[in-house]
Amino acid sequence: MSFMQVSVGDALPTFELPVTSTVIVAGAIASRDFMPAHHDAEYARGQGAPDMFMNILTTNGYVSRYVTDWSGPETMVRAIRIRLGGPAVPGQILRFTGAVASLSEEGDEQVIEVAVRAANDLGDHATGHVVISLPRV
Amino acid sequence: MTESENDPVRADLERFVGQPMGPPVEAPDPVNVPMIRHWVDALDDRNPAYLDEESAAKGRYGGLVAPPAMLQAWTMPRPKIEGIAERGGAPGEMNPDGPIPTLDRAGFAGTLATNSELEFFRYLKPGDHLRTTSELESISVRKRTGLGEGYFITWITRYFDQSNELVGQQLFRILKFDPSTIDLSKFGGAQ
Repeated sequence: MSFMQVSVGDALPTFELPVTSTVIVAGAIASRDFMPAHHDAEYARGQGAPDMFMNILTTNGYVSRYVTDWSGPETMVRAIRIRLGGPAVPGQILRFTGAVASLSEEGDEQVIEVAVRAANDLGDHATGHVVISLPRV
Repeated sequence: MTESENDPVRADLERFVGQPMGPPVEAPDPVNVPMIRHWVDALDDRNPAYLDEESAAKGRYGGLVAPPAMLQAWTMPRPKIEGIAERGGAPGEMNPDGPIPTLDRAGFAGTLATNSELEFFRYLKPGDHLRTTSELESISVRKRTGLGEGYFITWITRYFDQSNELVGQQLFRILKFDPSTIDLSKFGGAQ
C-alpha cells in the first residue's frame, strides 16, 4: 500500500480548452446559471465585456476536471480556491497549467495541494490552489 | 489603496456584516443523475466516479458521486427568464434592502467577482438534498484600487444536507465599484 509517487514541483500535463460560445453556454446551463452575460454576446458587450464569457461555476468545474484528469477517480477534491482575472471568451484557448505545491499525509490519505493557472490571450483567467486527497493504493 | 474613516456609505453598510445575505435556500431538486450527466457532457469530464456505476461501486465512495464543483449548481434558484436582463442577470427579484442594492443606489453599481473558495467536506451522492445559509462575512473600507473606488464584499455560503450535516462551503468575494472608473473589457466575472 503506497501513495501516488509525486514530488513538490512536479508539473501537471497542460490542458488546452478551445473556448467557444457552445462551451460557455453548455457550462452555464448545466450549472443552472441563466445570466445573459453567459449566453448573449450582445448583452455582454453592452455591459462592457468583449463578448459573452464563462461563468464561475464552469471555471471551477474545469479547474476540478483538470486536476482529477491527472489524479484519477479515487481523488477527493477538498478545496478549490481561485482568484478571478480576465474573462474566458469565445475564440481563445484557455490553457491550464499546474504543479504540485505541497504534500502531506493524514492517516491513510495523501493530501496534495496543486497550484493551478488558467490563462488565455487576455492574461490570467483564474489562479489558485486545488487541494485533493487520495487513499493508499 | 486609501482608506476612509469618515465614509457614510461604509457606515451604512455596517448593519449588514454578520447578517444573512438572504433567506435560507432549499435546493429545488435532490442531487440526481440527470443533472450530473448534463454537467459531465457540458464540461466533457469523463471521471468514471460520476456516471460509471460499475467502476464507482468498486471505488472509495462505493457508488456514484456528484462532481464536487457542482455544489453551487444544486441550490441555484429557479430563474424567472422574463426580465432577467433588466434585472442585471439576477434570477429573481432582489431584496432592495440588501447590501448589494444598497451599494448600487450609492453609485457603486458595478460588480466584479474576485475570489471563490470552495471547500468540500464530503462528496454528494444522488438523493442528497441540500439547503444553504449565507452570511455576509466582511465589507472592506472604501478602497482605491487599480480598478477605481469600491468595496470588497465577502460572504460565506454553507451547504447542509438532509441530516443538517455541513457538507461544503463557499467563500465568495466581489468588488462593488463605480463603473465610471473601470475598464470592464479587461476583467471577467462581472455580473
